Amino acid sequence: MTWSWHVSRTNREKKKSGRAVGARSSGMTRFYVVLGVVALVGVAAVGYSVSSKAMGTAVAEPVDLDIPDLGTLVSLAKGVERGNPDAPVTILEFADYQCPACGQYAMMIKPQVDLQLVESGRAKYVFYDFPLVQSHPGAFLAARAARCAGEQDAYWTYHDELFRQQNRWTAERSPAGLFVDYAVSLGLDEDEFGSCLRSDRYADVITANLELGRQLGVSGTPTFMVSSGQGMATRLPDWYFDSFESAVAEAEGR
Amino acid sequence: MTAVEAPSPSDSRAAEASPGSRMIVAVLALVGFFISLYLLAYSVGLTGTLMCGVGDCSAVQSSEYARLGPLPVSALGVVGYAVLFLLGLMGVQPRYRDSRLVAGLLLVGASMGFLYSAYLTYLEAAVIGEWCQWCVLSAIVMTLIFLACLPEVRRIGGRT
Repeated sequence: MTWSWHVSRTNREKKKSGRAVGARSSGMTRFYVVLGVVALVGVAAVGYSVSSKAMGTAVAEPVDLDIPDLGTLVSLAKGVERGNPDAPVTILEFADYQCPACGQYAMMIKPQVDLQLVESGRAKYVFYDFPLVQSHPGAFLAARAARCAGEQDAYWTYHDELFRQQNRWTAERSPAGLFVDYAVSLGLDEDEFGSCLRSDRYADVITANLELGRQLGVSGTPTFMVSSGQGMATRLPDWYFDSFESAVAEAEGR
Repeated sequence: MTAVEAPSPSDSRAAEASPGSRMIVAVLALVGFFISLYLLAYSVGLTGTLMCGVGDCSAVQSSEYARLGPLPVSALGVVGYAVLFLLGLMGVQPRYRDSRLVAGLLLVGASMGFLYSAYLTYLEAAVIGEWCQWCVLSAIVMTLIFLACLPEVRRIGGRT
């Protein structure tokens, strides 16, 4: 009696233990399935964000150009113009979006130059990129970003935004994301802007502008010149408004 | 003759402890690992922009507090979560289920992670003044990991 009770008890325990082992095993299976799902979702999400938003293809440095002579260089280089195209005087700016002095000029002096010399019709303003990528690694991409904004007729608003936000994006190792954010905040089409930025578009023009500046003796930024279409352009000694005013007045008198 | 065998439940409370909490730790740590990996990919320039529905992720990620010397904080997160994940995974294996060492490492790792997360959350709230949804999510995950690791105190105290 005692023995049979013991045997049946042992069998019950074995069954119970077997059920426990089975439950534990199915619990482990569920656990590994959950881990697998989390891993798959994680790999897919991170992989997608890297592949779709990667700026790996975005050209952020000057490219090799075949420029056999000055004529080719002049035809390749293209500044961005604003103001009266028939104005007798032209103000040329060579600037780097990452240079702090260029930012100060853009924020403090340029509004007065725009108002009194450009919008009044006295002078045409032409901006040439001069990205010094050795010290300013984001400058070339910023110049391309501004050109991409220009495709949506927002070059100058984007230009101002880049200088306004200069402290912010220059702190980034990869400012491309912020450039897209700025475009979106200005109401530009994100996909259109992003696909432009992730390409090599305008890399040739910007490289040519840089080379043109070098040929003209530009060594630092910002550099300003005033031309009346007659002879050599006059290089401004500084970027105070009075210098612009007097150079334009002098060019008008030629 | 009575063959009454002594019942053989382990008198160790640690042995009774279910590995469920460690499974939770492993799953949460894997989630945290991918959040940190995403932020790390952004820090090193592999992703162009951060998806950020709430707050200003760029402001937080470009702040001086997003780096610890030469290392992005997210790299610390990747390593920390990976270690917690491996410890959680080890902890559910029968061989290590009763290991005081694994229990102790889990508790110490989760406590350190929780405290550091709390510090980062304080920085977002009081110093940077901006929120990064991924950092907040990571802090929530780390808090849950810490809570799931509290039963390790009993395991460490148990006789094994």
